[in-house]
Amino acid sequence: MKSFYFLPEMPGVSIAVWIAASMIFLFFAREPVHKMIQTFSDATAGGLRKLAEWTKETAQAMREKDRKVLLESGVAKIQGEILQEFSKIDMANTKSLAGYPKLQLKLDEKISQLETDYNECGQVTPEAPGWSEVVKSIAKVKGSTSDRIIEGMLGEIHKSAVEGEKKALSELRDISAKRHKILGSMAPVWKRVEKLGKEISSQVDKVMENSRNIEKYMTQYEKISAAEPESIDMLSSKVTKLFIISLIVICVGLVGAFINFNLIALPMSELVPAGVRVAGMAVSEISALVIVALELVLGIFLFEAIGVTHTFPQIANMTRGKRKIILWGCLLGLLFLSSVEASLAILRENLAEAKNALDISLAGGSASVSNEINSRITVIGQAMLGFVLPWILAVIAIPLEMFIEASQHAFAKMYTVFITLLCHLANMIAYLIEGFFNILVHLFDIYIIIPVQIANMISGKQVSAS
Amino acid sequence: MEKIIKRILLALSVTVVVSACTDSKQYETSFCALMDISGTYAGEKANVANIIKAGIVPEMIPGDSLFFVKIDSNSYAEENLVTKLTLDYRPTKANTQKLAIAKTLDKFGKGNAKSRLTDISGALMLCSDYLKATKSGTQVMFVFSDMKEELPEGVVRKFAEDEFDGIDIAAMNVIKLTDDSANPEVYRKRIKNWNQRIVDSGAKSWNTLIDATKIQEFIYNVK
Repeated sequence: MKSFYFLPEMPGVSIAVWIAASMIFLFFAREPVHKMIQTFSDATAGGLRKLAEWTKETAQAMREKDRKVLLESGVAKIQGEILQEFSKIDMANTKSLAGYPKLQLKLDEKISQLETDYNECGQVTPEAPGWSEVVKSIAKVKGSTSDRIIEGMLGEIHKSAVEGEKKALSELRDISAKRHKILGSMAPVWKRVEKLGKEISSQVDKVMENSRNIEKYMTQYEKISAAEPESIDMLSSKVTKLFIISLIVICVGLVGAFINFNLIALPMSELVPAGVRVAGMAVSEISALVIVALELVLGIFLFEAIGVTHTFPQIANMTRGKRKIILWGCLLGLLFLSSVEASLAILRENLAEAKNALDISLAGGSASVSNEINSRITVIGQAMLGFVLPWILAVIAIPLEMFIEASQHAFAKMYTVFITLLCHLANMIAYLIEGFFNILVHLFDIYIIIPVQIANMISGKQVSAS
Repeated sequence: MEKIIKRILLALSVTVVVSACTDSKQYETSFCALMDISGTYAGEKANVANIIKAGIVPEMIPGDSLFFVKIDSNSYAEENLVTKLTLDYRPTKANTQKLAIAKTLDKFGKGNAKSRLTDISGALMLCSDYLKATKSGTQVMFVFSDMKEELPEGVVRKFAEDEFDGIDIAAMNVIKLTDDSANPEVYRKRIKNWNQRIVDSGAKSWNTLIDATKIQEFIYNVK
C-alpha cells in the first residue's frame, strides 16, 4: 500500500492526490463508464426481463392449451352422457316397443269388444205402436153395442190385445235385463283398458324424464361449447376435485400394495433364491413386486372388460363375447394370484416362527412355540390378508383411470403456477438489478461532481455528468 | 439422423438395463471373528462362542459369510481357520446352516485348545485375506482378545498400506491384564497403538466395544 504513496511521510496528501487524479480521469471517462454500467444493467436485468417475458408467454400458452383440453374433454364427457341418455331411451323404447304391438292388439281387442257390447246395448226392440189406445177403444166399444156377436168379437180382440201388451212388456223386460247384463260384463274390460293406459303413461313418463336429462345435458353442452369462463372454471374445479380424490385413493392403494409386497417378499426368497440383484433389489423382491404389479394389471383389464373404465379403446371396441373371455381370464388370474399370496402368507408366518425359534436357540434358550392359539390366529389373519389384498388392489384401476384423466390438467395447472412464479421472480430480480445499477450511476456522478462543477464554471454552460 | 438418435437411445437403454443387473455381493456382509486362545484369554472361549452365537449369527442374512479364526502363536496359517460359512439364499436352508455353525462354535468353546504366544497381527492378516476374497460390500472383523501381542522369534508381521482397506474392525470383550489393572495407562496405550496400526493400514474404522450387547447396533451401523 505504501508503495502507492508519492510522499511516504505524508500519506494523507498522497491519498488526496490519488483521489483528485481519479476524479479527473473518471470525469473525462464519464461517458464510457455510464455506457459500461448501462450495458451491465442491460445484460443482467435485460436477460431476466426476457426470461420473465418468455415464462409469461409460456404460462399463457399453457393456460390456453389447458383450456382447450378442458373444453374438449368436457364436451366429450357431456357427449358421452347424452349418448348414455339416448341409449337409455333406446333401451326403454326397444323394451316398450317390443311389447307395444301386443299391447295395441290387446287394446284394440278390448275396444272392439266394448264397441260390440255398446252396439248390442243399443239394439232396443221397439214397443208395439198404439196398443194401449186400441185396447182402450175396444174396451169402450164393448158396453155400447147390442149385437152380441160383435160384442163377443170385440171381447176376444180386447182379450188378445191385453195379452199382446203383456207379452210385449215381458219381452221388453227381458231385453233390458240382457242389456244390463252386457253392461255389467263391460266393467272389467274398462278396468283393463284403464290399466293399459296407465302402463303407456308410465313408459311415456320415463321417456320424458330421459328427455329432460338430455335437455339438461344439452344446456351444459351449449355452455361449454360457447367456452364461457364460468363453464371453464366449473370444469377446472371438477377435474381438480377428481384429481385430489383419485390421488388420495391411489395413495391408500399404494400403502396396501406396500403391505402386500412386504407380506410376500420374505417367502418369495424361499421360492426364488438367487444372488442376483437388479437396481439394488434382490430377484425375490422383484418377483414379489411383479406379483403385486400383475394384480394391478389384471384389475385394470377386469374393469376394462366390465366397461367401468375405458383406458384401452381396443378392449372397449371388442365384442361382448371377447370381453367376457377377458373378464373370466382376469377373474381366474386374480383368484390364482390371491391363492398364491394366501399360501405365501402362511409360509411367511412359518419362516418367522422358525427364525424366532432359531434366535432363541442361538441365545442359549430352548426353542418352543409359546402360544399356539395366537400363532394360528396370526396365520389365518395373514392368509386372509394375502387373499383379500389382491382384490382390493385390483379396484385401484378405477381411481387410476380418473387420476390419469385429471392429472394432465392438474400438472398443467401446477406448471403454470410454477412458471408464473418464475416470471414474477425474474421480474423482481431484474428490478433490483436495475435499481442497483442506477444507484451505481448516481454514486459515480456524486464522485465526479467537483470536476463537473469546475467545468461548468470554466465553460459558463451546464455540463452534464452523464 | 433420426435413425442414429434411435440407435443411440437403444444402446443407452441396453447399457442401463445391463448395468442395473448387478451381482448381489456388494449388498452382502462378511464377518470374521478372531478368538485369542493364548494365556488368560483361553478361558473366555465358551463366553466368546456364546457372544458370536447370540450377537453375530442372528444378524446374518442369506448370502452373508462368517469366518471363525483362532489366534495362537503363529496365526497366519490355514489351520487357524476353525470354520467358515456362507448362508444359502433360501431362509430355511440358512437357518439350518446357522444351527450347524452354532454347534461348531459350542464344540470349540468346550475344547481345550491353548497357545503359548499371541500372534494377533497374523490372524488379522489371515482374516483380511478371507474377507477380501468374498468381495462383499461390507466387511467386518471382531477381535476377541486382550490385544497383547507376543510374537515368536523370527515371525515378522507388517501390515500393508491397504491391508484392511474397507474393513470395519472392532475389538470385543477386551479383558484387562494384571499390568492393566495396576496401570490403566498401559491398557489405553496398547489400544491406542492398535488403533494407529489398523487405521494406518487402511481400515474403514476401528472400534472398541466393551459391552457385548452393542454388537448388533455396531453391525447395523456399519451395514
